[in-house]
Amino acid sequence: MTNAIEIKNLNKNYKDFKLKDVSFKVPRGSIVGFIGENGAGKTTTIKAMLNLVRRDGGTIEMLGMDALKDEKKIKESLGVVMDGCNFHDNLKTGDISKMLASIYKNWNVQLFQNYLKKFNLPENKIIKEFSRGMKMKLQIAVALSHEPELLILDEATSGLDPIVREEILDVFMEFIQDEKHAILISSHITSDLDKIADYIVFIHQGEILLDEEKETLLSKMGVLKCGEEDFRRLEKNEYIRYRKNQFSFEVLVNDKVAIKKKYPETVVDGVTIEEMMLFYVRGEK
Amino acid sequence: MKGLILKDLINLKSTFKMLGLMITLFAVIYIPQGNGFIFGMIILMFAMMVVTTISYDDLAKWDAYALTMPVTRKEMVLSKYLMMALLNTLGAVLALIVGIVGNMIMRQSFSMEILVIIGVLYLVAFCYGSLIVPLIYQFGAEKARLMLILSALIPTGLILLLTQMQIPLPEAINPLIYLFLLLGFTVIMVSGSYLISLRIYSNKEF
Repeated sequence: MTNAIEIKNLNKNYKDFKLKDVSFKVPRGSIVGFIGENGAGKTTTIKAMLNLVRRDGGTIEMLGMDALKDEKKIKESLGVVMDGCNFHDNLKTGDISKMLASIYKNWNVQLFQNYLKKFNLPENKIIKEFSRGMKMKLQIAVALSHEPELLILDEATSGLDPIVREEILDVFMEFIQDEKHAILISSHITSDLDKIADYIVFIHQGEILLDEEKETLLSKMGVLKCGEEDFRRLEKNEYIRYRKNQFSFEVLVNDKVAIKKKYPETVVDGVTIEEMMLFYVRGEK
Repeated sequence: MKGLILKDLINLKSTFKMLGLMITLFAVIYIPQGNGFIFGMIILMFAMMVVTTISYDDLAKWDAYALTMPVTRKEMVLSKYLMMALLNTLGAVLALIVGIVGNMIMRQSFSMEILVIIGVLYLVAFCYGSLIVPLIYQFGAEKARLMLILSALIPTGLILLLTQMQIPLPEAINPLIYLFLLLGFTVIMVSGSYLISLRIYSNKEF
């Protein structure tokens, strides 16, 4: 299986923030969830991929092409949704379609109209009168209507109600049915990623902490709840992070089956992406 | 590229409507007085619109998004200069029409003077745009507007000072020479301005 995105040792230096050797892949036919707290470097990474910011090192390949050399070619087959609506307030959906038809070679008016209908977006209203959910749906419709192979979504589901979110997640699942397609989705609504992501890439303070298949991650990792005494008995390499409460310890362990075997009297629960993220960011080593 | 210009024109639709109303109003007031002031008004109003389009883009955070599409930074800058040329030409043509219609209504023969005034203003509009577009790319629309007003004060002050000191302005041997000088100056301004804007915009991070 080839990769839709391949980032190697991406570096970007700001005065007070750095991306340090960010590397990860997005295989075709899969959805990769890109997670991390605000300011962890998700958007910077995405902007570097799109050449919106200049990178200080590393290579980025998308759809088998170099992101700098073949920029225009890549962007013909790329759909991007950023946080918020980027169309001017006075435009109508018809105006957008006309404009984009002369920007994208593959703009598909019919497909765009189908998405508008599917998302219940009005054709006679200007964007200013759209609700936030409608604006987001419009951006997603636009991102899909030039028949892209790769979607890059930066917080595309934030600020949406659960019903709209699920609608949109369904569209993404449908998109990925084509084995050539791929999605990179950054989000801090981790429950969305619990549902749709195949891989999880976790960035923290500009560094990739974790890059793994979601199923393995969730089936292996667990949360051990125990008292201080039990916690002291754990070996350093048996847990990843721990958090201390008033009365007990919560420990993120990397192999819950092994822990259960070794300490049969303890309780080990499954973990969600959100819990895992909290452990990494707020827990102690 | 065509798409970018189309987008600007659609965005300006409501501005165009308001402008049409204003021009009609001004024409009714000033043409009977035989005042050339109206041509300046029309051309200036159109010349200002390129700034409006950039403000609209800023408001929608359009540029960063447009660059995720198959649009190069060069095309982004070039589209603004083409837009400027389009708007200025539109303004000049409209001014000419108002001039001709005004003359017809006032039953005067069409004078060359109007053509020269409009021609000069047309070129000045390009110089104005060439000054402000790179300023906007560097400092943002709000600051650039302020700077332009300030920088307009400098030449005005200079001319005032010259007349105060009673230094004679060179006599025109042939007024056409001035026109050609202005034309040359405009061409240099526009091409220089485009290159500077392109440079600023290419280095911009979003």
